[in-house]
Formats: sequence, C-alpha cells, structure tokens
Amino acid sequence: MRQEPINQLSESGLRVWRIYGLFQTLIVLLVGIGVGVINYFTGQFIWLYIVDVVVIVLIGYLLIYLFPKIRWTRWRYEVREQEIELQHGLFIVKRTLVPMVRVQHVDTEQGPILRKYDLSSITISTAATSHTIPALVTGEADELRGRISVLARVAEDDV
Amino acid sequence: MSKEKFTLHPISAVINFVKVLKEMIIPLVVVIAVNGFGGGSGSWTSYIIYIIYAVLLIAMLVSGIIEWKRFRYWFEEEELRIEYGLFVKKKRYIPFERIQSLNYTEGIFHRPFGLIKVKVETAGGGATKEADAELTAITKEAAEQIKKEMNLAKHKESTISDGDLQQEELAKEQRKPLFRMSRKDLFILASTSGGVGVFFSGLAVFVSQFSELIPYETIYNEIIMFIRFGALLIALLVFFALLVAWIVSVAITFINYYEFTIWVEDQEIIITRGLLEKKKITIPLSRIQAVRIVENPLRQLTGHATVIVDSAGGSLAEKDEKIRLIPLIKKDKINPILVQIFPNYEFEANFTRVPKRSRKFFYRLDFLWMIPVATCVSYFFFPFGLLSFLLFPLSFLWGAWQHKTAGYWMDEKQLVVQYRLFSRVSIWMEKKRIQAMTARTTYFQKKANVSSIMTTIKSGVSGSSTTIPHIEKADAESLMKWYEPTRIEPIDREKEQPL
Repeated sequence: MRQEPINQLSESGLRVWRIYGLFQTLIVLLVGIGVGVINYFTGQFIWLYIVDVVVIVLIGYLLIYLFPKIRWTRWRYEVREQEIELQHGLFIVKRTLVPMVRVQHVDTEQGPILRKYDLSSITISTAATSHTIPALVTGEADELRGRISVLARVAEDDV
Repeated sequence: MSKEKFTLHPISAVINFVKVLKEMIIPLVVVIAVNGFGGGSGSWTSYIIYIIYAVLLIAMLVSGIIEWKRFRYWFEEEELRIEYGLFVKKKRYIPFERIQSLNYTEGIFHRPFGLIKVKVETAGGGATKEADAELTAITKEAAEQIKKEMNLAKHKESTISDGDLQQEELAKEQRKPLFRMSRKDLFILASTSGGVGVFFSGLAVFVSQFSELIPYETIYNEIIMFIRFGALLIALLVFFALLVAWIVSVAITFINYYEFTIWVEDQEIIITRGLLEKKKITIPLSRIQAVRIVENPLRQLTGHATVIVDSAGGSLAEKDEKIRLIPLIKKDKINPILVQIFPNYEFEANFTRVPKRSRKFFYRLDFLWMIPVATCVSYFFFPFGLLSFLLFPLSFLWGAWQHKTAGYWMDEKQLVVQYRLFSRVSIWMEKKRIQAMTARTTYFQKKANVSSIMTTIKSGVSGSSTTIPHIEKADAESLMKWYEPTRIEPIDREKEQPL
C-alpha cells in the first residue's frame, strides 16, 4: 500500500475554508429567506417552512463543518528532490505526481482572507497542467516556492 | 550575415488581392445581390453602386500591391527579420533558434512560376497567431536559403539541404516515401469521412445569408404543388440533394488528400498532400508528444484506422496540435511504418485489461440520471414514453463495450492506453512526455478495490488528458510507482524532508 504524503496544510487553512463555507451558506440563507417570504404571502404551508429550515441547516452543516474537515484531513503534500506528490479531494481522492523535471514555474498567491490569516497558496505549473496547494503559512510557502524552483532547475531534463 | 533585403515575388500582390477577395466574397455577393435586385432599373443610382464596387475592387488590388511592395525580409544577427505594413510600418524579428518549423504550400498561383509560400512557425509562446510569419510567395531557391540560414544559426551542418528545393524535389522522386496513400484508400477515406456534415452546415450558413432573398411564398406554393405530386418526389429530391452533397464532400476530400505522402528527413516528418494546392507540412520529431491510432467502429469493421500525432507548441490559429499522420490505412500496415518513423517507441502492445468487477462503473453512473428522466418521460408521454427505458440496455451495452476495450500496457519508457468513446483509441506516450499523473479513487471504487489513472501530456499550447479507467488498485499503484522518478524508502524520508 502506498504511503500518504507527509505534510499537511496549515491549521488556520481549515478556519479559512470554514469562512468560505459561511459565505456560501449566507447566500443559501438569503435564497431560503426568499422562499420563506413567498410562502408567507402565498400558501403558508407549514411543511415548506420546515423543509426550508432543514435544508438550510443541512447545507450549513455540510459547507461549514463537514466538507472543510474532510478536505483538510485529506489534503497532503510532499516535495521531494525528484518529484512533488499531492493528495486531495472530497468525494474522489486524487493523488498526483509531478516530476521536478516537468515543473516550469511556481507562483504564490494571497487573497484578502488568506492574508488576514497570514496564509498563501502555491501553484505549480508544468507545460500542460497546474496544481495548487491551497493554504500554507506565508513564510513556509515562500520557502517552498524557492526550494521547488531550485530543485526544478537542478533536475536533469531529458526531453 | 548578409544584410541584403529580399522582396517577395510580384505574384504576391495578386495572391493578397485574391485572399482579401475571398474573405469578402460572401458579404459582397449579398450586398450586390440585394442592391442588384432592389435598385431601380435604369436609374442613375444603380450606376453609382457599380462605380463603388469598381473602386472597392481597385482599392483591394492597390492595397495588395502596396503590401507586396512594402514587404521585406532579411537575415541579420541570427534572426529572420521582416518589415511590412500597409499604413503602419511594422517590423518583426524572429530568432532562428526559436523557429520550430517551416511549412511550404504551393497554390495554383505559385505553380506556374515555381514559387512557394513559406510559413514560419515558432514555439508556442505567443497566445496569438502574431507569433508566426508568412512569406506569401518566394522562389524555391529563396526558401532553401532561409532553411540554410536557419540551419547555420542552429549550428547544424547543412547536409542534405545543400541542393535547392527543386533538386530536392527530384531527389524525392527517387527516395522512397514511408507512406503513400493509394487511390483506393483515398476513395474510402473520402466516401466515409464526416465531410458530409461539414458540407451541410456550410450550406445552411450559405442559405441563411440569402434567406431574405428567397421568395418564400413562391416556394411555399410550389411545395404545396409538390405535395400534390406526392411525397415520392420530395423524397427523391432529398435523396438527390444528399447525393450531390456526398459527391461534393468526396471531391473536397479527394482534392485535399490527393497524393498524401509522408517521409522522414533530418529528424522531421514531412507530409505533402493536395491536388490543386500542394501543401507541405513539417513536424520536428522532437515536438511529438504522443501517437494515437483511432478506429471508428465502421472502420474497425473493415480493418482501417487513422494515425494521429500530438504535437507541442504550434500556432493556435491553425489548431494543428493533433495532426493526421496517416488519414486512412489498413491496420496491419501501421506498425511497419510507425517503427520507421518512431524508433523509440515499441508498437507491439500487450494490453492488461480492466478487471471484470469494474464493469459496473462504466454504466452505473449513467443510470443515475436516466432513472428520473425515463420515469418523467414515461409519465408525461404515456405510453410511447416507455420506450425511453430502452436507453438502459443500450447504455449497458455501450458501457460493457467500453469496458471490453479499456486497457493499458507499459514498458520502461512508454505507456500505452486503449479506450473507447465510440471510436477505439490507442495512445502511445513516452514516460518523459507525461507531464503529470493522477490516481483517482471514489468511495465506490475504493470498496471495489479499483482506481483510475489520469495522465496529462502537452498537446498544442495546452494539455491533453487520457484516463485509464477503473483498473486494479495494485496496477494503479504500480503505474504510479513506474512514473515516480525516485521511490524513497519510508525510513529515509525524514532526511529528505527539510521542511
């Protein structure tokens, strides 16, 4: 059985994902309130209120609690001398190998929410694909970016 | 490096003119038709319109001439330098080392004068077609000189390219091409290609351009007449239209693929084809990322296949990332040819098939959306809606068919994948051309102990992914291991990981 990559994302990455989930839930909540108001003025079906509330609570639970948790525990990465290995996915577990020789450039990126938690994401690009590690502590991400770019330059290109 | 500046052959002015004319022909015809019919007969306004046409044509001709006059190219500092522009003078410098290939075309205007059109293709850096250059018409000697200069700059000894193209042309006659499509195969290709559909869509566009001109009422009345004559006549008419469309598409394919020939020279594949317009395409072998053999079900029955190569870079405008290396060939004749072109590949593949227990994954997901759809259709269109349940056995059979086709094979350097959507595709990829590999496992796959493997290669300016579906978990892991440059033992890992 193949071993999992050893590094995990930053703990505060989980918090950031919960915040994203919160925003998504707020949108659902607005739609839910809309349905409730229409129901109040037209039919006033009790069951519709109940379904409405249950759906909102369920979506909130999934988006804020469960999905970020699964995604965070699943997310693993490992940068070795010759290759980068990633593991992620909510319903489908994806394990990706990117040989260092194939790496063309590495970018780090920071949105407003990530900045608040001092996090960055790293994107590794090959000639045909790109792979993002979503939430690393900024210092760690910068160091990793430097390391990958050094390793990628050293790696023998046999193409 | 000489700094002598070269011009194009004067015929380029005519070619430029014809090119503009071609682009404007449809709007022009529409405008002429509308005005021609709409303008009152004999009144002076109709003459003004004709004068405008004449002026327009002359302007187009003059601009073609100016374009030709302004165009200069020369070699300097290991670059191909081009100066051009109708109103604004533009210069473009292309370093020789960045030139990927030179493509030659001989159109009907080129042939009487022994001329050639040269298209310069650079590495796929530019997102626009701006990255390329086109020399509309130069002599074959001049084309040869460009090639020579390029080879010099690339520090390659110009061995074979000493002679001019004409001599090369002669030499070609003697050299045996690797593949030449026979008339019979050409005819099979022409008669079974999807060109008919293309022709019809073209016809639809054409008709829509004229829709305002068509006197619908008259046609309507005539249709009523037709119906009185009986449906037979209409059926005959439709059949006749189809027949004509088919013949036209056969003719088009025949003209485009006439004398389709390939050979290898200087680490480049050279393809020539065409009856009226002779096209020559060169693909450097180093740019080829994968080789595909595609058999659509009909051709699989007759034992025919198409060979396609994926090429990296190239111009976006041409959409030439997938090049038909051999448009049609008998299956058993493929390997001897491919072995000569790609000595690095092993074309005798011994496929590992997909395990039987993963067959359900090929159709089960489709059932998921089909159940509600079929139920709804049956409810609303009872009783004929029940026919929609026939989708289930069909979908099952299709899935089983795909399951039967799917497989893979690898040796040290290469991975071969076989799969089917409708056509059976076998794709050969060298390990060093694979950009990334991903193993995907869903919850249900995990329970069944299977996994899918997705490989991505570069194709054109972006990537192209191939999936080996639902193979044994252990096989998937050995594939990942095969792809991994180093397999570090778990104990050593801590050392390797400074982070």
